[in-house]
Amino acid sequence: MASVWTYMKMVFGWWNHATYGTLLYTARKGVPVGTDSFGNRYYQTADGKRRWVLYNGTVEGSRVPAEWHLWMHHTVDTPPAADMTKKSWEQDFLPNLSGTEGAYHPKGSLVRGGVRAPATGDYESWSPNA
Amino acid sequence: MPRKLIIDGKEIEAEDNLTLLQACEQAGAEIPRFCYHERLSVAGNCRMCLVEWVGAPKPQASCSLQVKDIFPNKDGTPARINTDSPVVRKAREGVMEFLLINHPLDCPICDQGGECDLQDQAMGYGRAAFHRFHENKRAVEDKYMGPLIKTQMTRCIQCTRCVRFATEIAGVPDLGATGRGEDMEITTYLEKAFSSELSGNVVDLCPVGALTSKPYSYTSRPWELKHTESIDIMDAQGCNIRVDTRGRAVMRILPRLNDDINEEWLHDKGRHIWDGLGRQRLDRPYVRKNGKLVPASWSDAFAVIAARVKATTPDRMAAIVGDLAAAEEIKALKDLMTRLGVPHLDCRQDGAKIGGGPRPAYLFNTTITGVEAADALLLIGCNPRWEAPVLNARIRKAWLNGPLKIASVGAPVDLTYPAEQLGTGVDVLNALADGSHPFAEVLRNAKRPMLILGGGALARPDGAVILHHAARIARETGIIGPAGTPAEGGWIGFNVLHTAASRVAALDLGFLPAPASEESPGGRDVAGIVEGAQKGEINFIYLLGADELPLENMGRPFVVYQGSHGDTGANYADVILPGAAFTEKDGLYANFEGRVQEAQRAVFPPGEAREDWAILRALSDVLGQKLPYDTLADLRRALVADLPQYGRLGQVPVWEGADPAVWNALGTDGVFTADVPMGQAIADYYLTNPIARASKVMADCSRELLHSDENKQAAE
Repeated sequence: MASVWTYMKMVFGWWNHATYGTLLYTARKGVPVGTDSFGNRYYQTADGKRRWVLYNGTVEGSRVPAEWHLWMHHTVDTPPAADMTKKSWEQDFLPNLSGTEGAYHPKGSLVRGGVRAPATGDYESWSPNA
Repeated sequence: MPRKLIIDGKEIEAEDNLTLLQACEQAGAEIPRFCYHERLSVAGNCRMCLVEWVGAPKPQASCSLQVKDIFPNKDGTPARINTDSPVVRKAREGVMEFLLINHPLDCPICDQGGECDLQDQAMGYGRAAFHRFHENKRAVEDKYMGPLIKTQMTRCIQCTRCVRFATEIAGVPDLGATGRGEDMEITTYLEKAFSSELSGNVVDLCPVGALTSKPYSYTSRPWELKHTESIDIMDAQGCNIRVDTRGRAVMRILPRLNDDINEEWLHDKGRHIWDGLGRQRLDRPYVRKNGKLVPASWSDAFAVIAARVKATTPDRMAAIVGDLAAAEEIKALKDLMTRLGVPHLDCRQDGAKIGGGPRPAYLFNTTITGVEAADALLLIGCNPRWEAPVLNARIRKAWLNGPLKIASVGAPVDLTYPAEQLGTGVDVLNALADGSHPFAEVLRNAKRPMLILGGGALARPDGAVILHHAARIARETGIIGPAGTPAEGGWIGFNVLHTAASRVAALDLGFLPAPASEESPGGRDVAGIVEGAQKGEINFIYLLGADELPLENMGRPFVVYQGSHGDTGANYADVILPGAAFTEKDGLYANFEGRVQEAQRAVFPPGEAREDWAILRALSDVLGQKLPYDTLADLRRALVADLPQYGRLGQVPVWEGADPAVWNALGTDGVFTADVPMGQAIADYYLTNPIARASKVMADCSRELLHSDENKQAAE
């Protein structure tokens, strides 16, 4: 059983979990369509006019994989097949990693050790032991 | 006699010694050209400057047509010249088409791209979408011209500017052309390096990308660069330069036009040391702990110095100014040392016996332009080709254009003009002074005789005696003439040729040993300081960028080194204070004429390095002798209050006439150390200062141009 704190978060925040309103709406009108590799569940209304997702974990738009993104945005009407295979050259889908440990840092960034290729304006400093 | 011409419908009067091209420029018309150059002889081979002389059967090459050859029309009206008529345009388009037959389409990868005369003029006179030559373009093998000049000879349009520069200005006929017509090639013959100290100028002269700078090649594009006007400090001439920077790196150095100093030339050391500005840099303070230099903070370094100064008495302290210091930091150091009561100050690292007297006694009084008016020249221990290459070009110009007779006392060197060798013995000065030598007669009969005293003479132990005899020669032979400029009838031919950019400013500021008085025995000069350090009588030495000292003989005094590069001084220092190089600070430099010029900051000093005057100001506070200026402007105001000429930038002091007492008292009368031959002030032109020694390009030049024979022998 979830603590009171979890319920409070569901009432006052939308970023950890679907809100009560969404859950209520999903229970009333939602027709389940499928689940993606992250465990996010996708729903639509009976007439197919509204489509939405209940995230498995953090509510973060970039966690919708590309194939589901197409369906969510009404670009395609058939949801991706559950047994969809990937091409050999396709990489696994990655949500936006900004702000996490896996965030991208360019070459030469101090986070990556600060080692970069020589560039204009570099100088060689004198060292007494050389 | 001026002649009337109607140029583009505008009637002007042109002097008849001008060429038509110059007359057109006076009329405000711009004439495209490749081979014509103001400072070189007229070749007339590119044909780009064609203009229409109404009535003449063909277009005329304006660079080689003289105004005096243009006759008026039959009805007496002035000749009509058109510089932008359909005839002219068609003729120039034709010339351009011919030039482009064999010029490769290299522009996107060519270093000249963006500052190329051919590119620019092809925009005006190229025939777009029109090409009737389907054969292959001519290909020319690249030539070797030494470590500074990169060649792409397929791009050459045979303007021969480089050949004329080498022969006429540099005086080193290493370049020439072989073949005719399409087969003509510019070459150094036998794959020999272009062995001139002015070789870099052919890169500027080349109107296309055939000759480009080797060290600069493919590093940047002209439109990426920020230009900062500055002063060259590799020698004491103060050539005007432009420092081109991208971001915080100096990418190249180019000359600026200044007819009074360097015309538009720059010597190779000034042009190519920029890679030394990024090597061996001192970028943090160091303090010696247990015999090893370790990085320290500024406050720690200052504290160590303060403790040491406290433990020492002023008469056991000394300060030496190096060759590249600006006037501001020399003044700051002098003020600080005066406040501390230190008597042992010197700026003459080479030991030159000069200074302390009136200003004309240590200046190049004739001025650089004045050299062209001279008709006899005596060089004493002076090799201007190495000590001031651009001045040497001026002497050569004077020799070419006038009846200049030149004689040299000192090592026989190729000065690019003939000089009568009077031997390396010093005794000849006696004969010159008493008039028994034949060249004394030449000097006496000359209208405007001059002599140049070089470091080779003054830096000898008997330098003061030589100075005395030089002044005697000057008095006896009319070298010291009436007051005023040469144009006004005045003349002063007594010149001292310094090699250090800081020297004149330091002498002006009196950075010299304190004179002896009743209370004190006076200060020591550089030799005295070194000797004192050996004996342990001096145990604190402050070096402001002084790297040319025999520090290894000094025993172990406490050495503070303030400077930009890790060279001799830094290796022996106990405290290193990182300073700024000349491109990294605003500084005033007085050249050997006494002309004060400002070098502006192009980039910031690296790391924790600071501007030198600010370091001294901060240190003065820690030492409890706070200097009374907080900004550079305050410091300059104080400097100008002491020395008004430092407020008149770019002006040369006017000769005010001789005070006989001063000139009689110059130097000391004594005996020469006659058995020592007159040496040279500079042992290796390319490696004279810490920046040059840090530069790879200069090391390559020294190896390939000065020591190539030794290398070959070693290889065999």
